[in-house]
Amino acid sequence: MTVMTKPFSSFEMAQTQFDRVADVLQLDQGACELLRNALREFSFAIPTRMDDGRIQVFRGFRVQHNDARGPSKGGLRFHPMETLDTVRALAMWMTWKCAVVDIPLGGGKGGVICDPHNLSAGEQERICRGFVRQMGRNMGPNLDVPAPDVMTSAQHMLWMLDEFEAIHGSHQPGFITGKPIGVGGSQGRTEATGFGLVFTIREALKELGINARETTASVQGFGNVAQHAIRLYTQIGGKVTCVACWDQTDQTTYAYMKHAGIELDELLGITDRFGGIDKAKAQELGYEVLPGDAWISQDVDILIPAALENQIRGDNAGTISDRVKLLAEGANGPTSPEADRILHDRGIFVIPDLLANAGGVTCSYFEQVQSNMNYYWDKDEVLGKLDVKMTSAFIAVSDLARRRKLYMRDAAYLIAIDRVVRACRDRGWL
Amino acid sequence: MPTSDDSIKQILQSLQERAKELNCLYRVDEILNRRDQPPENVFQQLIEAIPPGWQYPEVCRAKVVVNGQSYTPADFTATEWMQCADISIEGEAVGDLTVCYTEKRPAESEGPFLLEERRLINAIVERIGLYIMQSRLRVAHASLHQALEAPTTAQPWGILLEFLQRTDPRLLNRITRKMINNLCWHGVTDAEPLLQTHLGQTRSREDEQPDENRPMERWQLLDESDLTRRTFDIAAENLNEAEIVQCIQEWINEEKSTVLIKSLENPGTGLAELSEAVERFESAGIDESALPIAVQTSLKVALLRRFFVDSLDFINVAKNFVAVRDFYELTQRVIHPARSQGKLGGKGAGLFLATQILKRSTDNTNLLSNLKTPRTWYVASDGVLDFIHYNNLEELYNTKYMEIERVRQDYPHVVQVFKNSRFTSDVLKGLATALDDFDNRPIIVRSSSLLEDRAGAAFSGKYKSLFLANQGTKEQRLAALQDAIAEVYASIFSPDPIEYRAERNLLDFREEMGILIQEVVGRRVGHYFLPACAGVAFSNNEYRWSPRIHREDGLVRLVPGLGTRAVDRMSDDYPVLLAPGQPGLRANATADEVVRYSPKHIDVINLKTNSFETIDVEQLLREYGDEYPAVRQVISMVDQDRIRPPLPLEPDWSHDDFVITFEGLIGEGRLVQQLGAMLNLLRDKIGMPVDIEFAHDGEDLYLVQCRAQSYSNEDAPAPIPQDIPRDRLIFSANRHISNGRVADITHIVYVNAARYSEISDIQHLRSVGRAVSRLNQVLPKRQFVLIGPGRWGSRGDIRLGVSVTYSDINNAAVLIEVARQKGNYIPELSFGTHFFQDLVEAGIRYLPLYPDDGGIVFNEAFLTHSQNILPGLVPEYSHLADTIHVIDVPEQTGGLVLRVLMNADLEQAAGLLDEPGLPVGPVSPPTRPGGQVTEQHWRWRLRMAEQIARLVDVTRFGVKAIYIIGSTKNATAGPASDIDLIIHDAGDERQRHLLATWLDGWSGSLAETNYLRTGYRTDGLLDVHYVTDQDIADQSSFASKIGAVTDAAKQLAISSAS
Repeated sequence: MTVMTKPFSSFEMAQTQFDRVADVLQLDQGACELLRNALREFSFAIPTRMDDGRIQVFRGFRVQHNDARGPSKGGLRFHPMETLDTVRALAMWMTWKCAVVDIPLGGGKGGVICDPHNLSAGEQERICRGFVRQMGRNMGPNLDVPAPDVMTSAQHMLWMLDEFEAIHGSHQPGFITGKPIGVGGSQGRTEATGFGLVFTIREALKELGINARETTASVQGFGNVAQHAIRLYTQIGGKVTCVACWDQTDQTTYAYMKHAGIELDELLGITDRFGGIDKAKAQELGYEVLPGDAWISQDVDILIPAALENQIRGDNAGTISDRVKLLAEGANGPTSPEADRILHDRGIFVIPDLLANAGGVTCSYFEQVQSNMNYYWDKDEVLGKLDVKMTSAFIAVSDLARRRKLYMRDAAYLIAIDRVVRACRDRGWL
Repeated sequence: MPTSDDSIKQILQSLQERAKELNCLYRVDEILNRRDQPPENVFQQLIEAIPPGWQYPEVCRAKVVVNGQSYTPADFTATEWMQCADISIEGEAVGDLTVCYTEKRPAESEGPFLLEERRLINAIVERIGLYIMQSRLRVAHASLHQALEAPTTAQPWGILLEFLQRTDPRLLNRITRKMINNLCWHGVTDAEPLLQTHLGQTRSREDEQPDENRPMERWQLLDESDLTRRTFDIAAENLNEAEIVQCIQEWINEEKSTVLIKSLENPGTGLAELSEAVERFESAGIDESALPIAVQTSLKVALLRRFFVDSLDFINVAKNFVAVRDFYELTQRVIHPARSQGKLGGKGAGLFLATQILKRSTDNTNLLSNLKTPRTWYVASDGVLDFIHYNNLEELYNTKYMEIERVRQDYPHVVQVFKNSRFTSDVLKGLATALDDFDNRPIIVRSSSLLEDRAGAAFSGKYKSLFLANQGTKEQRLAALQDAIAEVYASIFSPDPIEYRAERNLLDFREEMGILIQEVVGRRVGHYFLPACAGVAFSNNEYRWSPRIHREDGLVRLVPGLGTRAVDRMSDDYPVLLAPGQPGLRANATADEVVRYSPKHIDVINLKTNSFETIDVEQLLREYGDEYPAVRQVISMVDQDRIRPPLPLEPDWSHDDFVITFEGLIGEGRLVQQLGAMLNLLRDKIGMPVDIEFAHDGEDLYLVQCRAQSYSNEDAPAPIPQDIPRDRLIFSANRHISNGRVADITHIVYVNAARYSEISDIQHLRSVGRAVSRLNQVLPKRQFVLIGPGRWGSRGDIRLGVSVTYSDINNAAVLIEVARQKGNYIPELSFGTHFFQDLVEAGIRYLPLYPDDGGIVFNEAFLTHSQNILPGLVPEYSHLADTIHVIDVPEQTGGLVLRVLMNADLEQAAGLLDEPGLPVGPVSPPTRPGGQVTEQHWRWRLRMAEQIARLVDVTRFGVKAIYIIGSTKNATAGPASDIDLIIHDAGDERQRHLLATWLDGWSGSLAETNYLRTGYRTDGLLDVHYVTDQDIADQSSFASKIGAVTDAAKQLAISSAS
């Protein structure tokens, strides 16, 4: 048991992770110091007029962790207990994430300490505009590009974009991503993460010498990511035999199993918009309904956790079937460190979340590119370019893992940090 | 059924007679309404109009005598075959009507006359009496008017008196006496001898009465006229003309009101007579406001008491907002049995009062000017007694004293008996008239029980309300309406209200129940009928999702379609929540929340099948979106993660993604402001918080019901004892308090804030959430509180609060967030926002604690130093014993329990240790089929499962272990739930078969018992899953539940080999 002395800090955890890789890369003290901390941190006040006429002052943050490879990119969160510590950790994570798929962007993150549950829409709009008035000079399509995050939406982004463009007197849709189509948004955003996941699965199977047509998979989650992943995976010939999802009525999860393979469109017809499958109707359609955690013990080749974090743990990793050869992390952090060791020992090939679910950020990059040149691609073009990006990112990571006999997760971090260090070196910062 | 020609002829004949009688009555009315004609003409026409109403018109003659003047046809001769009725005004005979046959005719009920003809003649004389009274009044009024118009004429009141002398000398006498009193009261000494005379005479009359009655009276009359002259002479000397005229006018009005006052004061007056008295008052054209205030008040109070309730609170308020005229409108829509003594019941009273208040509001904002109430008819409360009596169902009164199982068993039968019973013709006629009024618009039949006044409005949900599509022919519609009323009547004898009444000692109260028949607000959409939205609104908000919302800001629960879904808490759907005082602050902030907690179903009336249905709202809109009233104000577009109003070309119903938000109605439609204004007005005028039901048809807002805001026991303000011994107080609070009380908490789960913040490892932090989730499964449902730091369910930084979802805490009774000071700031609490609506719908209470505030008690020592049963309870999490403390309160305190009392009025809450057991248990919320989960269902199921396990013959059947899973284990079982068992057996085929047969027996009898307890019919109650050693080794399907980390099966004790 750990000695409980120092409270948990997500930033320290991110730093520890970096330190491990820095050791492997034998980074010097200067590089470590630069990359362990953010390049720039802003903390500022946003005085806001409330509906009742009072002025309330909100605190805003923006951390630009590293922009050696390109403008900082990262979400803007509205959270009542937002802390600089969390924002720092998330900004660092964004730097690595952009680097691992090799897109020319840096990492950033920001937030405002506020609870939208306590604010009217008008008040939220004034906070958004206030944020831009304070921070606008340090952001922009070529500096720092925000996106929606916890408790912010496209609406918040559009308010910010409008304020930004009003200040600068010109259209600059590349200032923000996550915009609706028609206001500078990109096609393919819904599909991006799920498809990106399957692009990496396809490449991993090639590498393992397995024919995708002969594989089966079990998926946890049936939301946007999982649905699109299942569609593409089925298209490349794979067969999903089990999918687990949340049941709102019973307040528990169930796994829906069909040996012959699930029919995606049939299931979508009985699924609510939160990815909840109608249990009774599924039974009628011949699906076997099992307890929710049955997805993990299925006798399949591929496991795709695409729901929540911390789903594969020390206590259930043992139930994974011997047949499983590949685990693709569609969700963020689905595997606990303890389970990670078990997977490693059993020789299961893991496509780490950093890489596996980077389709989303890649598409945001595409959105920014299209916005900047004011020319918008059709969906096939977006998804085609996504395929190229994800494939080459996967190959780079797995090459490194093979060459250096590394675990895939470590290889992904290694390659990401290495790319950032190179950019810093090229610029003469290090 | 009469089949012969004869009987058909008979029926036809009698129908023809009725038609003749009616025609005659219409004709009489017509003639009497000709006010432009002199009375002589009128009576001359009358005697011609009357004979055709009789069975043998050719030999029938009529004679009218009025004020000594007789009107006869030329060939009138008195014969032995005649019938006669007096014409009287206020009991004084002023003439008579005689009808006679000139030749002999066959004998009927009264000589040759039919029973109906007696009724007819009585009706005619009554109308003539009214006519004469009105003429007199008109004359009096005209002369008064004349006098006032021409002030030069000496003594205008003199003319008035003269007229009275001619038309109504008795009234003049009374006015004279009043004037004498008035003069004496004003200290006019000259008048005192008159008073003496007056009194003296009275006395002398009393003395002489036994002997010489008649002569004295004559003498008196003479004297009265002299008295009048003398009195008014004195009056003229002491009062000015205007004063005298005003007095006389007031007294005349007062006198005219006496009919009404008399019938009100007479406890024997039936509703019919009362309605008639109100009608007469109305048609007498009395200016109500000209009556003395005392008379006005007395009339209103008596009317309110007579029509509605005795409750002083109600009358005190209502008397300020009603007029006699309002009752006239009301009586036009009251259906009652003959000789009814009934009232209109609680719901009727509330709606009537609210309507009057709103009608009289001086509204500057124009918010309430278009407010409407749906057309409503009432059936008097004794209608049900009459119905029972008419159909000889009195034995049912015994039902309520039977065992509840028996009641439940009998109930379906009772419903059928009621539905096959008949209504009396008076009521039937009334219902038919009501249906004509409603035309074929859908209606709702609601109970308006007199018990509501006694037991509080919490009772109102106990009886049925039925929606009727009201389509088809008049006969079909009438049959359906009768059916519905019968069914509502039958619900008096349904097990739930009887059980409820028994618990509250209300069984002996009489079963009087009024009925409200209300037009359903709405529009036709496809073959459905529904309002754009409907809901309930409360003056006091007992579920605040933000500290910026005050209790007085109110609460609105809004749903699409019929309001039924807003009234009850729902387990599978969510209404839109609003606080009218803070319309900008919504319970759901993110797009995901807005969509997740939006209404998914809609209650409608299906006009095709004539039934009330719950359907999928998305499907309805996809099919009939454009027909839905004000649809663009009802929905918002879901544009990826953005919720926005529909653009001009949207929505494309087949493709676009949309969600019900009512944003347009709330914003442009000013719905929230209207509701807010209405709540405020009603609260101010009634003097207490109210709750209302409303509906909106896309154009107008309708008030459907109003009553004082009721609290079920669990959300009533709890009195907080001031002398709690310090060692019994676990915590106190004084910020953001809602109302409520949670009794008999046996377990406390306390997450130690200091320890939690020291955890340095994210896995460790997460495991705290998982441990809570486990405890949520193993602790007794709704008997434990969760106390923890910061924000429960925080989705951002896990350090800010234990990471849980709603399903991890859904069995708790109370969720408490503790805000400890950190450095110089106090963290903001979540108010449960992450699963706020889930908490509301499940009735889980939320309480924020600020232990660092002055004067606040937070007994951390008790929470941290009591014995921690966590390791024993969930051994797999025993390493968290430092952080999570689970306290078995009775064990720790020698049998006490924790009680959480919350009082929003005082803004105080306390958690204290007390003896278990409150006088009144928690009130189960109103039930919807398949909706609410009540405690007893899972407890009883668990007990039965334990019983099965104890009784199973393990050697005979080869059983190794029995486990329980699913809703019974998780304490979520509803009335229709299965009992899910996993049976681990190692027997052979034969043993498995024997076991299955044995369990089948159990399953069947449990299903029957469950039916008797709940009214839910199932084929069997047990759902048995067999697993073998091999399954357990493989952890396949249900075997994986055994020893699972989450939601593990619970093993039941079985007898060792017997």
